[in-house]
Amino acid sequence: MPRYGMCIDLKRCYGCYACVMACKVKNHTPPGVFWSRVLKGERGTFPSTTRQALPVLCMQCDEPSCLEVCPTGATVKLDNGIVIVEKDKCMGCKYCMMACPYGARYTVEKWESYFPEGLPLSPYEEFAKKAWEEKSGVGVATKCDFCRDRLENGGQPACVEACSANARTFGDLDDPDSEISILIKKYRGEVLNPEIGNKPKVYYLAPR
Amino acid sequence: MATTAQPRIEEDTWIPTCCGQCYCMCGIKVRRQNGVITEIAGNPDAPSGRGSICVKGLASPHLLYDPYRVNYPMKRTNPEKGLGVDPKWERISWDEALETIVERLEECRARDPRGAYFQATTTQASEIRFGVIGFMKGFKTPNYWVSGGGLHCGNGAHFMNGIMHVSWSIIPDFAHCNYALNFGCSKGHGAGHVAVQNATQAADARFRGGKTVTFDPFLSAQAAKAHEWVPIKVGTDGAMALGMVNSLLNEHGIYDAEYLMYKTNGPYLIRPSDGRYQRDKETDKPLVWDLVDNCPKVHSDPSVTRVQYEDQAHEVALTGTYTVDGVACRPSFELLKEHVKKYTPEYVEEVTGVPAATVSRISKEFGEAAEIGSTVTIETSEGPKKIPSRPVATHFFRGTQGHVNSGWTCLSVDMVNHMVGAADTWGGAFGLGAAVGSGYEKTGKPYQIPYACPDGLLVAKTWVYDHVPYPMRVPKAPTRLDLHDMFPTSIYNAFTITNPRWFEMLDRFKIDYKPDVMINFGSNSVMTMGNAEQVTENFLKKFNFIFSFQLFVTEFEEAVADIVLPDTCFLERYTPAVSFPSTFSHPQGEDDWGWSIRQPVVEPLYERRDFNEVMLDISKRLGILGDYYKGLNDSIGIRYGGEMDEKYKLVEDGSVEHSWEDVCDRMLKDRFGEEHGLEHVRQKGVFTWPKKKEDVYWKWFNAARVPIYFEYFIDSGEQISKLWDEFGGQDFFDIDWSRFKALADWYPCPSHCETNPDYDMFAFYWRAVMHCNSMTQQNPYLDECGQEDPYVYAVQIHKDTATEKGIADGDNVWLENPEGHRVKGWVALTDGIEPHHLAVAAVAGHWGNYMPVAKGKGTFFNDLVEMDLPHTDPLTFNQDICCRVKIYKRNGQDEQ
Repeated sequence: MPRYGMCIDLKRCYGCYACVMACKVKNHTPPGVFWSRVLKGERGTFPSTTRQALPVLCMQCDEPSCLEVCPTGATVKLDNGIVIVEKDKCMGCKYCMMACPYGARYTVEKWESYFPEGLPLSPYEEFAKKAWEEKSGVGVATKCDFCRDRLENGGQPACVEACSANARTFGDLDDPDSEISILIKKYRGEVLNPEIGNKPKVYYLAPR
Repeated sequence: MATTAQPRIEEDTWIPTCCGQCYCMCGIKVRRQNGVITEIAGNPDAPSGRGSICVKGLASPHLLYDPYRVNYPMKRTNPEKGLGVDPKWERISWDEALETIVERLEECRARDPRGAYFQATTTQASEIRFGVIGFMKGFKTPNYWVSGGGLHCGNGAHFMNGIMHVSWSIIPDFAHCNYALNFGCSKGHGAGHVAVQNATQAADARFRGGKTVTFDPFLSAQAAKAHEWVPIKVGTDGAMALGMVNSLLNEHGIYDAEYLMYKTNGPYLIRPSDGRYQRDKETDKPLVWDLVDNCPKVHSDPSVTRVQYEDQAHEVALTGTYTVDGVACRPSFELLKEHVKKYTPEYVEEVTGVPAATVSRISKEFGEAAEIGSTVTIETSEGPKKIPSRPVATHFFRGTQGHVNSGWTCLSVDMVNHMVGAADTWGGAFGLGAAVGSGYEKTGKPYQIPYACPDGLLVAKTWVYDHVPYPMRVPKAPTRLDLHDMFPTSIYNAFTITNPRWFEMLDRFKIDYKPDVMINFGSNSVMTMGNAEQVTENFLKKFNFIFSFQLFVTEFEEAVADIVLPDTCFLERYTPAVSFPSTFSHPQGEDDWGWSIRQPVVEPLYERRDFNEVMLDISKRLGILGDYYKGLNDSIGIRYGGEMDEKYKLVEDGSVEHSWEDVCDRMLKDRFGEEHGLEHVRQKGVFTWPKKKEDVYWKWFNAARVPIYFEYFIDSGEQISKLWDEFGGQDFFDIDWSRFKALADWYPCPSHCETNPDYDMFAFYWRAVMHCNSMTQQNPYLDECGQEDPYVYAVQIHKDTATEKGIADGDNVWLENPEGHRVKGWVALTDGIEPHHLAVAAVAGHWGNYMPVAKGKGTFFNDLVEMDLPHTDPLTFNQDICCRVKIYKRNGQDEQ
């Protein structure tokens, strides 16, 4: 069984938001929900200033805080390492959202259209609403699942496929010969906030 | 037993086509489930994109289904026009709309058909080349422009790149370039032509270790990704580039003599009396000085030419004085070398703000990284061939060229490449898109191998417009409403048509007709040209009747349109040629050629109809179909690489009515053979064939030279100014014709000359990755994405500057120019901008009532852009888009 992870090369990434949009369109997330997100930050004093884009998503931790705090067992870590929410078991207590150190979980109390209320839903939004309700729903915790359905069909997560900078590499962290393992080893990939101890499976390569 | 009905997916299919959210037009696959578009991805089969697609393309389901789309024809019932006027729309039938339009066009034709004026958007560049051109030829009007496009991003860049690279733009050969100098351009960082492919290539280059230095007033995406960000004053890139040319030639002594001798007009002998070429008396060809035979030779003499790198030839003089027919002449290279001496590092520092030591250092680094003398061997169709390797490149686009020094600045930035031989060879600056090719092997089309004119200079075989950028048109007495016929160096002019004395000018230039009917295709020129009031009052309101093909009712329709027609978006239409003309938008590099098409992934919704189909319908009603077809047949020859075969030509006598699909099918069969018509190309959305290496690195496989000395500009300037004076043009504008000269210079913008200390800030605009032109701001996915970014809807200001002015992060402000035009916004404080600059992402600040998602977001920068001659480049008539402004806090009382 593979242990899935992702490696994001910050030298390649130029902060174009294609990963954000690919996730939105593939997972039909409603307004304000970003299973895939790009944070932008700035450091230094002019003219020695730098700006950096940091793509984030659920870190699919090997020791996830969200799982520990879930009172109903809705949060599950699959054998392949992907952390999911079984929506029918979730009671919407949001403990997991509080516990997640990476802010990767979202919940919506009401499905909302991207357009003002009162307009009839477009066929796309009707589809999006239905897809969201089937997979995630309202009043429950939702999160990135590495596009589990795509993996089952031999595909890659939507954010990986969309990335024009080829900044994202997805694969099996347990296979030393996988591209992701080689990249992490060769370029000394690091996780965000390792001191928290959750053992995230999303690695980053240094921007410079 | 009762069963629960399960929704059954009856249809789940992916359809290949091309994106249309911007002019990059990448290959995409669109997922359709039970008739609904649900997902979009890149098309791996298409060289344009190769499976990746940007944020805009991904978001396009919302464009197709946006409830604010125009779905039915509408007419204006309020006769009043202008900004802020309620048009009082009334829904009408297509029949009524087309009957009215045809009636108005017939009236126009009776008065003078030239009164019809086509205005179009760059976003739908591939559609323009059919419906617009066919109609213009059929109806017999010369009046046309791409609003905003040419003025802001093209007059200087495309003209100069056409001369130097037979292409629309330039870009590093990212695959091999080791040192790229980016003059504030977002190519390779999410925008510009071939955006996705360039981003992939630029990321690969970073990964490989390629170095980038970016000159930019603010810490843009391209500056943030660079190894070194060099803050520079807006509008001074030309001075920086000429400083580099000086530093290379006169400080470090680094230049590629072989390249200059055989691939440029650097050795052409110039006579001192008038700066013209010294020509051979017999052949009239320019002369060079053969250093072996110690005598003059015509430039094309086999003993002094090298087409391929391994050809043998005598060395020719690049410096010195040589007497020919009793005249002491000097090679043009030496004149350039002397001319640029005034661009000392110290002078450059004074103009640009870049420290003199940095100018010198970067020039040296660039020159050394060029590895002059190094070669590589590539596998061509004629076996292995040695070519120079010059892994350095400069590149630029809109920010650099949007100034009153546009033409010479574009040339100067590219000149740096030509000094070290880094042009269209391994590792150097490539033309973008890929402009040179011998075509699909079975048909020889599209054939686009450039050639040398009698003077030996590079001539494009294929171009985006009717006239190639070189040789230049001879200026003629104007017949166009923008006087364009007089100005061979410009693509479009705006200082004429937006002038309050426009009609007076038409009389003076003996143009005996007036603007009458405007046909608008997708453009929102009220927002994309410049100051909205000037554009609306001086130009748009002069038309008797305006009808518009649109996706949304934009500020343009609200202000001036009489009828709005519901156009299809790119997901609902056919287009037979998207990635061609390749000069415009085809990826460069070694990947295959790919001729992409658009096909509808859903039938047009509501009463939307495709622009090209409607233009055929209108033309049929007007009885001009034959000439319309002839216009398309003729246009395909120059734009798409070769005349149509008789077999596939559209029937020009009008006896056959061609459907739009038939037009598409014929064009494809003509290019790729009977078996590769529309039905075939639809399968993958693209027709591909291998690119030859000698087409990628074409410089040393082609006999043509490029100019570093623009001798023919002198003639052109004399011709234009003479014509101008004959008509009394100086009564309207005092144009500085001295810009028509042979050697490059930098000229200050009005923003650099402002003396009122109140206007202490330089404002400029930049391009946010999730927006293209103005339409994308209505897409709620993209809008949300824009709000995720800290700067997309803000005015960026240095935090110390803000503090000095008592402005806090998030404060609402006005930006006001010396002419009294002001725009509103809110500020984001940053350390990532030169302290005297303000950065605004364009084109934002919508105020119209029919694009509610876009409304009120960001700042309408273009309102600060003055539409007048002082803000226009006298060489290319490009518009200046940097402004001197004052910034002050806004409170509730002075909202309007």
